[in-house]
Amino acid sequence: MVSLTALQQWLDNTSFALLFAAMLFYWVGGAFPQGWQWLGLLGRSGTIIANLTLATLLLARWLEAGYFPLSNLYESLLFVAWSVTLFQLLAEGLTQSKIVGIFTSPLATGIVAFAALKLPEAMQKAEPLVPALKSNWLMMHVSVMLLSYGALMLGSVLALAFLVVTWGQEVQLRGNSLGISLNGSRQQPIQVREMNGGSSNTLLLTRPPVTPTPRQLTLGEILDNISYRMIGLGFPLLTIGIIAGGVWANEAWGSYWSWDPKETWSLITWLVFAAYLHMRITKGWQGRKPAILATVGLGVVWTCYLGVNFLGKGLHSYGWFL
Amino acid sequence: MRAWQREVVSLLANLKFAIALLLLIAIFSILGTVIEQGQTVEFYKANYPLQPALFGFLTYERILAWGLDRVYSTWWFLTLLLLFGASLISCTIYRQIPLLKVARRWFFVQKPQTILKLPYAVTVPASRWSEVMGALEKRGYRLWQTDNQFYASKGLVGRLGPIVVHASIVLILIGAIGGALGGVTAQAMIPSGETAAVTNITQAGMFSKRWLPQDWRIRVNRFWIAYSEKGKIEQFYSDLSILDREGKELDRQTISVNHPLRFRGVTFYQASWDISKLRFQFNRSPILELPLSPLEAASGGQKVWGTWLPTKPDLSEGISVIVPDLQGTVLIFAPQGELLHTTRVGETVEVNGIKLKLVEVVGATGLQIKADPGVPIVYTGFALLMVGVVMSYISYSQVWGLCQGDILYVGGKTNRAHVAFHQELNSILAVPSNIE
Repeated sequence: MVSLTALQQWLDNTSFALLFAAMLFYWVGGAFPQGWQWLGLLGRSGTIIANLTLATLLLARWLEAGYFPLSNLYESLLFVAWSVTLFQLLAEGLTQSKIVGIFTSPLATGIVAFAALKLPEAMQKAEPLVPALKSNWLMMHVSVMLLSYGALMLGSVLALAFLVVTWGQEVQLRGNSLGISLNGSRQQPIQVREMNGGSSNTLLLTRPPVTPTPRQLTLGEILDNISYRMIGLGFPLLTIGIIAGGVWANEAWGSYWSWDPKETWSLITWLVFAAYLHMRITKGWQGRKPAILATVGLGVVWTCYLGVNFLGKGLHSYGWFL
Repeated sequence: MRAWQREVVSLLANLKFAIALLLLIAIFSILGTVIEQGQTVEFYKANYPLQPALFGFLTYERILAWGLDRVYSTWWFLTLLLLFGASLISCTIYRQIPLLKVARRWFFVQKPQTILKLPYAVTVPASRWSEVMGALEKRGYRLWQTDNQFYASKGLVGRLGPIVVHASIVLILIGAIGGALGGVTAQAMIPSGETAAVTNITQAGMFSKRWLPQDWRIRVNRFWIAYSEKGKIEQFYSDLSILDREGKELDRQTISVNHPLRFRGVTFYQASWDISKLRFQFNRSPILELPLSPLEAASGGQKVWGTWLPTKPDLSEGISVIVPDLQGTVLIFAPQGELLHTTRVGETVEVNGIKLKLVEVVGATGLQIKADPGVPIVYTGFALLMVGVVMSYISYSQVWGLCQGDILYVGGKTNRAHVAFHQELNSILAVPSNIE
């Protein structure tokens, strides 16, 4: 057990060092585009290894304690950091875009720095679970909730980055569940009547221009869309996590909803991001407004995750740490 | 529909109205997490005095008048929730379903200009036609084609997702209303070894009669606590029997936290506990019982239980017995407060010349008894909601193609994943990536 403890000590410091280095690589790479290829790759590799060391650390604690390690603030912070790095890598992978890390790497770095360096040692120790938490639902509910926090935080940080990058510019938003542009642009809905009318033979005479490469997406568009996709991923996770908590509460003490502060704040988070998703399909409320709401959402997620500790005790409290 | 009805529906189906509702419910929900809920009037008087008023306006009078002491059951909060439900229903009927019908229609494109107007548009040599078809199919697109036109799409399920989400939330709201009207909640604190009827009903809906049979009795065969080696509580257990009017056992199970007993639509949860009495023996007396009362330390420390035990027939002398938990330790104090003995259940000690045998410390189990006929509907809603939100993540992508001469015009759009779609088409068409 001594070796496991020493290993944990080493792993959390290493995770921090890796994330910090990765962040610097991303930033230097962003500042000097000519070195972007290998600097971006270094940042990405650092993040991947940090993701693995965090996972190893959590696994070691799982082995040591005998239950899924999400019982105190330290463990949950590390899990959130792991989830943030996971979604950062996913966002980079899905979109082949390397700029994500420039904006999001401080998030995971900050969380791990706080958990590893600032939290008192007594709060890092694994405590035995109280009877109410002894259930297989613990893993299901808490892990999905923390995964959703990770995705929502990442999406919100990218929304903030979008606001900063497009500061003072005219923006036109893309991506909503309707798939239509509401501001009027080159994205015209295709006319259905074309099916019947018009002979295409005549058109051959006036040949339209050829475009061997498609129009480029702007930095703002990319940030906005990745932010939208990450929030779009966090939202179902949040929904599933809340439902798992409700079902657990109903199975354990007979009420799937009791307006406890943490429950209420998870609902508030859900409502804010639901409003965000709907704003994107609302005429006249597009552009920056959804991004501003998503940025507000960053504060709401943190309040739901940690702020509720200050509102009251209960099963959901991580305890005081200041 | 009459004109005013049409106006009401169009307001309810209005997106800005829906967003405002979402945010209003969020803001009012915050109030209930900041102001303590469900406390006594004295509590609010003490914490929100008239002078000086908190923030200059928040006095206990206003809190009680506006219902801020029970935000989530006030008429205005419930009205917001009902409006939310009505907005979901009208939005689904008047917006989502018509839009889905449009989305299912598809067609070929006849003019290159139409393709070039799409968010993603590119031209490749016509000789690559079959290669592009193959790549689209490999990526999961459904293809329709003529000699010189094609249409490909995938992810239509993503257009269906939001409808499922809305319908399932309506289902959850209906189930919640069903639970409020038809459900019943009761509590019982029963000492180990005793039988009791369920009488303390804390909440009962208008139509809840049939759910809690009045002739049931609960026998607690045994209540005990499992402690860890370090003395921390690991689990609470109650061995329960449900008895009918004649005392016949209908069911028997041992429950613990997270493992309730379910019987004919009623669930018994391990919710609380107490220490109820001390059984003891003086010299060769029969076994006697005295109730133990909880004693709260003034400093807010750990709760203990205690009683006073006379040691003389005229009650002129006695001792205090203190029980800290159900682990078997018993502390005996003299009236002046000095500790006489630290002993254990089953031991015999001598006080004031009398042999006192501590036979048993009897615990009591706190049960929450609940029937909620809305749960199956709510659970169905939960299941559909989970499916719906996952479906809603999927991006609906459409690609059109048109061959004219030796040029193949390819264009496409998607509703959610623009960057990924851009990359996907770049890779299908072997166009170099142009992001960054």
